[in-house]
Amino acid sequence: MAVSETLAAAQPAATPPQPSPGRRRRGRNAAYWLYLLPGAVLFILVIGAPLVGTLYLSLTKWSGIGDPRWVGLDNYQQLLHDDVFWASFRNTVWMLVAMVVVPTLLGLLLAAVLFDVIGRRFKPRTAAALRAAFYLPQVLPVVVAGIVWGWILRPDGAFNSLLDAVGLGALRHDWLGDPDTALPAVMAVMIWVQIGYPVVVFMAALQRVDPELYEAAEVDGANWVHRFRAITLPQIRPETFVVALTCTIAALKVFGPIFALTRGGPENATNVPSYFAYYTFFKKLQVGYGSAISTVLTLIIVVVAVVFIWMQARSERRDRGI
Amino acid sequence: MQRFRRLVAALALAATATTTVAACGGGDSGDDSDAKVLKLWHYESETSAMGVGWNRAIEIFKSEHPGVEVRFERKAFEQIQQNAGMIINSSEGPDIMEYNKGNATAGLLSSQGLLSDLSAEADKRGWAGKLSPSLQTTARYSDKGVMGSGKWFGVPNYGEYVTVYYNKDLFERNGVKVPTTMADMTAAMDTFVSKGITPLGMAGAEYPAGQLFYQLALSKADRQFVDNYQLYKNPVDFKADPLKYGAATFADWVSKGYVAKDSASLKAEDMGTAFIGGKVPMIVSGSWWYGRFKTEMKANWDTFLFPGNTLQAGSSGNLWVVPENSKAKSLAYDFIDITLRPEIQDLIGNNGGVPVAADASKITDPKDRKLIEDFNTVSKQDGLAFYPDWPVPGYYDVLVGGFQGLINGSKSPDQVLDSIAKPYAEGVKEITGK
Repeated sequence: MAVSETLAAAQPAATPPQPSPGRRRRGRNAAYWLYLLPGAVLFILVIGAPLVGTLYLSLTKWSGIGDPRWVGLDNYQQLLHDDVFWASFRNTVWMLVAMVVVPTLLGLLLAAVLFDVIGRRFKPRTAAALRAAFYLPQVLPVVVAGIVWGWILRPDGAFNSLLDAVGLGALRHDWLGDPDTALPAVMAVMIWVQIGYPVVVFMAALQRVDPELYEAAEVDGANWVHRFRAITLPQIRPETFVVALTCTIAALKVFGPIFALTRGGPENATNVPSYFAYYTFFKKLQVGYGSAISTVLTLIIVVVAVVFIWMQARSERRDRGI
Repeated sequence: MQRFRRLVAALALAATATTTVAACGGGDSGDDSDAKVLKLWHYESETSAMGVGWNRAIEIFKSEHPGVEVRFERKAFEQIQQNAGMIINSSEGPDIMEYNKGNATAGLLSSQGLLSDLSAEADKRGWAGKLSPSLQTTARYSDKGVMGSGKWFGVPNYGEYVTVYYNKDLFERNGVKVPTTMADMTAAMDTFVSKGITPLGMAGAEYPAGQLFYQLALSKADRQFVDNYQLYKNPVDFKADPLKYGAATFADWVSKGYVAKDSASLKAEDMGTAFIGGKVPMIVSGSWWYGRFKTEMKANWDTFLFPGNTLQAGSSGNLWVVPENSKAKSLAYDFIDITLRPEIQDLIGNNGGVPVAADASKITDPKDRKLIEDFNTVSKQDGLAFYPDWPVPGYYDVLVGGFQGLINGSKSPDQVLDSIAKPYAEGVKEITGK
């Protein structure tokens, strides 16, 4: 084939009719839907259908066997007057402190120190090793961590032995058996479990911050606190939102550590909504009531997630000056 | 038109499939005498007394039913506990299964028509004659699934009861005699306290606290109280004896140091290992510990019945149930019958279990024999009072929470009684509608 013929074949004989912009957009949209289909089907099967099922069951009375009996909003009315339900939500507020507020603040500080101080003064490997050490509890199965902490905090456990060893034996206590100390003890464990996650995310975020910003600030005489406030905090705001949102959802639906450490006791001092729902489902065989608890919890998580995402979007718009 | 034809064809196919499935499953012709497979599930470990006994029962069954295949599957307790309803409501379930006794388990399934009525077999095969009235309580359920009366829906072939385990070496070393009355018991505990030893092992985070409370309450109770509390015969006053005595005495024992104030977070396993390790001279707990102590404990130990009580916490063991969907009911009944034979009952007894119909003289180990003789004593005097958490679903956690408060001193006996009375009343109302 001659070169001229090849070129001729490559050239269209005539300009084909171009689709109108509207048609092109419709065609592109249809293609998008095709890509979304597998996810949508999975969503319906794994999340949508169980959600609708739970919502339906929350309007019934059912022991798990036989036919559910329709009771309308009775379960929700009962929830409003259930002291244990409200106690479980009060405890959730404390779990938010232990799993969101403290780890985020402490994680931010630790990440900044590791990145900006340890990483500079020592080898980066030192900072990486410390980061891994903080992250270790996140790798452990939470039930295993719960059982080990249960051993540590038991009356004849390591913590009380440590108090004895340092001459503070008078403070020996049944930490998980006393309603006054059980929740703080569980909170301490949760801080330990949770702290590594923000540290890792924030350190990754700090690595994308332009080092020249820090250098320029140093040249201008900014100390570490100034750099932390003026550069670190604003630069990693998107990650802060992500950490706060994911930790908040984790705190709202926390179950494993409570199950392993205290089973919601003593006297509901550490009960949380997800454990209360489990107990109602499987121990009291009140599937309808348990579904109502789960539905309320889901609703709260969805609202919190929407509020967080809206706040993040607003913050990003503000940053871009829109 | 073509679409319509396809729709009709699909509907026809679906209808055919449904009919075929229905023919395979559900329909109970009532005649399964030619069944060639017996699907059997239970959750006892292979080396436990029941596991040993039932392995032998399977061998006997096979030899007596040549050509019948026994498909045995060992399940986890929790697996059956949480999924039994779904399992036996399907065509994939077993023909015979070990299942938990009580209103919230066997009672619930029976009330939904998922278990076979065994009454005719119990009469025909003489099972009723082998089980004392208090053992039969967990086998029979009313239409509402309340135990104690009505049709037979399960058959127990072993028993369990709460007793006092004591460390003989510690008793001898501290000059303490084995108590036979409650006065002896408190004197013994005072002696241990005076020597800086906490006399009673405890585990507030699980069942032991509730069982000690119940044992104390039972010392002031009669059968009428047990019937009222467990079978809802009459309303129960939590602010009166025997429950009031039980809670007050429990609190008193904590204040006197008989029970450690820092045991609220401990689990039953902690209590058991403390006893095995010789850290506590006594525990009040169930016969299910017996085999383990026999295997693991180095110190000399023995048991005595909770002093002064004619009623003891205890009951039949779990039940053999036959799902309504079973395709081999006759074979299942034959198997139950074998497990109640003297050979199997003695085997259970000689392996540290508590058979329901054993001849104690056939038990070779003196300690095993004593365990069974004590059970027979309680059973014969109709002394099994079941367990405090049985009356309503979810009551176990209520009792645990209540008695944790009593152990760590955060609640008074009156407050604890209030906190356990309300869920009891609500649960009873849920079941009986009253």
